[in-house]
Amino acid sequence: MALIEVNHLVKNFKVAEKEKGLTGALKSVVSRKTKIVKAVNDISFTIREGEVVAYIGPNGAGKSTTVKMLSGILTPTSGNILIDGLSPQKNRKQVVKNLGVVFGQRSQLNWDLRLGETFELLKRIYQIDNAKYRQNLETMNEILEIDTIINTPVRQLSLGQRMRGDLAAAMLHSPPILFLDEPTIGLDVEAKYSIRKFIKEVNSSKKTTIILTTHDLGDIQELCSRLIIINKGVIIEDGSLNDLIDRIAPYRQLIVDFYKEHSDITHPLAEVVEKEGARIVFRFEKANITASRLIEDISKKMRIKDVSLNEAKIEDIIRAVYKK
Amino acid sequence: MISSLKHHFLVAAHLIKMSIQRTLEYPVELIGWLFANPLQFVLGIATIKFVIAEFGTLNGWTFGELAFLYGLAVISHGLSVIFFVQTWFMGSAMLEGEFDILMLRPMNVLFQFFFRFFYLIGITDLIPGIVIFIYGCSQIHLVWSFINILMLISVLIGATLIRGAVFLFTGSLAFWTKSRNSFLFLNFAIFDQTTKYPLSIYPRVIQMIFTFLIPLGFIGFYPASDFLDKGNIFNSSGTMPWVTLVVGFFVFWIVTRIFRRGLRKYESAGT
Repeated sequence: MALIEVNHLVKNFKVAEKEKGLTGALKSVVSRKTKIVKAVNDISFTIREGEVVAYIGPNGAGKSTTVKMLSGILTPTSGNILIDGLSPQKNRKQVVKNLGVVFGQRSQLNWDLRLGETFELLKRIYQIDNAKYRQNLETMNEILEIDTIINTPVRQLSLGQRMRGDLAAAMLHSPPILFLDEPTIGLDVEAKYSIRKFIKEVNSSKKTTIILTTHDLGDIQELCSRLIIINKGVIIEDGSLNDLIDRIAPYRQLIVDFYKEHSDITHPLAEVVEKEGARIVFRFEKANITASRLIEDISKKMRIKDVSLNEAKIEDIIRAVYKK
Repeated sequence: MISSLKHHFLVAAHLIKMSIQRTLEYPVELIGWLFANPLQFVLGIATIKFVIAEFGTLNGWTFGELAFLYGLAVISHGLSVIFFVQTWFMGSAMLEGEFDILMLRPMNVLFQFFFRFFYLIGITDLIPGIVIFIYGCSQIHLVWSFINILMLISVLIGATLIRGAVFLFTGSLAFWTKSRNSFLFLNFAIFDQTTKYPLSIYPRVIQMIFTFLIPLGFIGFYPASDFLDKGNIFNSSGTMPWVTLVVGFFVFWIVTRIFRRGLRKYESAGT
């Protein structure tokens, strides 16, 4: 059964149009021009329990708007959302009890006080009992190393530390659903690593359902079994990463180094895309020929020194999808 | 019901504790306000003194009686600063998307919003108010009977709620106007003019406006006129302190409904 159901969701914003300069400012006092921007324009999808879904798209595509509607912050212009059978707009308090939400750009931690104070507040808000609270903190401590930062004022934490704190705060009440809006934005490799590890861990040990918006393709490759791509408020792809690769870029590259330069090596099922010295790069479609077969055929023509195989770059694929 | 009350109480207590801790993180700010803030009330009482020196009485009110009225009003002002200061800046909070976090938590948004900034610095308004009020009480020879104390508490709760409601109302307008305009200084000017002097000195139209449209008369004038047997358009005798409490809860409830309507139009901010 679907844990999250989104049906024909629409969100329009009224945006004021201002002309430049002082005259523009004066004009807007007298008559305000507004235009309607369709941030989310009729999207539908369902998500099952335990899925990790990457919700991606270029800036301004409607990702955050969707997440904010899913978590009850924004009211949709039309359409509806059901989370475990309840509407986050009509039953906000009920729904958010089961949600953990992290906005990479907006912390829920109290800026002036030590990290632990926010945890204590959340413990009271979500009515987490002592045993459960301690146990949750301990599990999170293993990966996020909360102990090392819990007594530091939030304003003195580094971005990576703050994000670890925010993740822990969102998971303190052990919600079965987690929304992460750009959780790895601006983080270094080490911080990204621990956050990804944590996400994998909660998904596998607690079957937590996760929706993740990101611009980081590493996040997608490492974490997500499914990809929903949105652009200009419309969903343009929904499926697994492998399906997408097979459809958009079903080719691979074989890089072959020979012992000496040679110009007339070809293969009927592969295209030569680059030649440089004794190196030739072939491009071939997975469906037509396997890599081993291609190597075998080529080696019959010429002695091979070394080979390597490149998958299509996920970046290129995503860019191709955005451009559609 | 009981468990829900306990839940709210525990959360409020922790939020208040956090606010106090935060204030103590920046002690210089507290000390600064402690000196700067009482000044405006010294000026306020000096203005009243000047008016009385010029005219003898003001519409039949002596200096002591006016000090009682003004002190009462400043105390509820101080209380409203402590409990409702965040409503002064609701337009900014809304535009900057600060309600996001509150809406993600399974509790009433307004409840969280009020207790998020329990503004301890409001005592720098409260203390001058108490000083002026005690002076006024001694001048009018107020009897500190049980019923009088109960009536004063009733007035202060009602008056604080009315003040909070006015700011919450003008703040909630930001949900529709999408602008930062907080009407802050307009509100301050109106509060100051309507609570410093007896409402009865103003033309009848203005009295009506500040009784039935924006019930600021209940903050100080109506209850004080009952305490001092001054008479008012209601010809009330001793009931006004209770009426203030009822009016306070009533307008606060109405404005809460308006806030909830507005929250549905909340647009968060950027990404």
